[in-house]
Amino acid sequence: MNRRKVLSLLGLSPALLAGSAAEAAEKSAKNAAPVVPAEITAVNPKGLPPPVQLIPMAPRLASLDNKTVFLVSDGFPGADHFLAQVASWFQKNMPSVKTEYRLKAGAFADDDPKLNAEIKASGNAVIMAIGH
Amino acid sequence: MGFPTAPLVTIAFKDLAKSNAASRGMPLERICFTPHPVWGKTDAEMYAYLDGNDPVSGKPLMKEVVDALTQPLSADEKKTGSVEISTGPPTYTDTADALQQYYLDNGMTDFMQIVLPTDERVAAMLKGTSHKPDEVVGKMSPARGSYPDWSFTVRHVAINAVMAGAKPEYLPTILAIAETGLTSLSSSTNSFATAAVINGPIRDTLNMNYGIGAMGPFAQPNAAIGRAWTMLSKNLSNSGIPGQTYLGTLGNSVNFNNLIIAENEKNSPWAPLSVQKGFKPGENVVSVFVGFSISQGQGGIGLGVKPVPQYHEAIAWNCTPFGPLFGALVVMDPLVAQGLVELGYKTKEQLADWLQKNSLISAKNARSTLFAQRWVADPKTPDDAMVPYYQRPDAYNFVVVGGQTNPYHMVANMSYRVSISIDKWA
Repeated sequence: MNRRKVLSLLGLSPALLAGSAAEAAEKSAKNAAPVVPAEITAVNPKGLPPPVQLIPMAPRLASLDNKTVFLVSDGFPGADHFLAQVASWFQKNMPSVKTEYRLKAGAFADDDPKLNAEIKASGNAVIMAIGH
Repeated sequence: MGFPTAPLVTIAFKDLAKSNAASRGMPLERICFTPHPVWGKTDAEMYAYLDGNDPVSGKPLMKEVVDALTQPLSADEKKTGSVEISTGPPTYTDTADALQQYYLDNGMTDFMQIVLPTDERVAAMLKGTSHKPDEVVGKMSPARGSYPDWSFTVRHVAINAVMAGAKPEYLPTILAIAETGLTSLSSSTNSFATAAVINGPIRDTLNMNYGIGAMGPFAQPNAAIGRAWTMLSKNLSNSGIPGQTYLGTLGNSVNFNNLIIAENEKNSPWAPLSVQKGFKPGENVVSVFVGFSISQGQGGIGLGVKPVPQYHEAIAWNCTPFGPLFGALVVMDPLVAQGLVELGYKTKEQLADWLQKNSLISAKNARSTLFAQRWVADPKTPDDAMVPYYQRPDAYNFVVVGGQTNPYHMVANMSYRVSISIDKWA
């Protein structure tokens, strides 16, 4: 067994063997001229994002008077109770606005074509609750 | 959608909502914000939110909502066309220390020193595969469907493998993980974790550790392959930007290099996981899982020590905190697997069948959880009825790994996603 392995088994660092050499190297380095670090070139690790296709927003309504607003939950916990309070707010402050609550089908980010068709057929606008 | 919409978002998701709207083509979407959270608040508290101000704009919230639906659109809000997204210059030149800091400051690392990806190192890494550098490997996003998918090539994966400290011979395994398209840094508020199970002779070719300390920091391939997964998730899918593409409230230390599990096939009495998933024995395969995290199976009251340890009961007990969102990944020492064979479970499938039939929860307890409808869909089910944790036996997956120093297991509330051939990337 060599001396390094013996020292390792005793829980001592094999670097002890190099003690005097390390000290000499340190003294030599102190006397040397400062070294300017070299520049190197490294590459960009990023992948390829798709281009963004700008989507124009849907035309706005002149007002919400006598309009039907769908209150849509994306399924986050508490959104149903929160939207019930939104319905209460309209009832109290803008009573001509009719509200309809719906839970969007699928996972949080999934589209719900059936609901979209229903809103197009019988609604005028959407308030969508997102977040916990 | 074709009708005026006002998103009403809790403020915790402000950056996420704004950046997501922009990346989906509506940078000026009229997003209104409420205080956070709404979950668990009383009706009166929620109504007070509505009667108060938007915490971002400082304006009365419901007036803002009404205005979002009724104020005429600006010219910018009607814009169409295509906008290219820049990810920065192709190369960076500076001293090594400055480059380390640059990569760190720009979110391209795991906040530890990386191996700087020079052209020479990337070229050496690419020798680990026969595939061309510009071949497209796949797509990935911080949450499928919620963010735009980024695409990436063999060269992109090789760059990230260099940064993680991988050797060229690890590259096919890292490419297979990348092909799964599963980010290791899900955007979810849940702080999810991921696992990759590796089967086949490549475990020995790479000197992977599947013995003592198999899931710990004791072997370069296990460590570097896992770290590469996190690196490529950040750089190839834009995952891991706190507040925008990462919302995990507590975070998860498993995300540093993930659970990389090389199955201990030679000491397992059962078929390897890859064979269960349809691959032939001897094929090199990676299988990925995602879920909450991994938790202890040792030292608790569920050990199952009786005159003969009842390992199946211990596993069932240790899975009792699990919710229905994900399945169960059970990681067990070969001693446990051998003990289960002696108890009569000659295959992993037999064990899964027993667990599916015998791991039960009361309907009352099930109803107290999130996603309770997955457990108790029928409202007429009485509260004292016992329902299975999982509807299907294949919700349980088992991997045999470890050094046989103690008959222990761990359980992860994680679901299987997909298995990919490593050989095809050689």
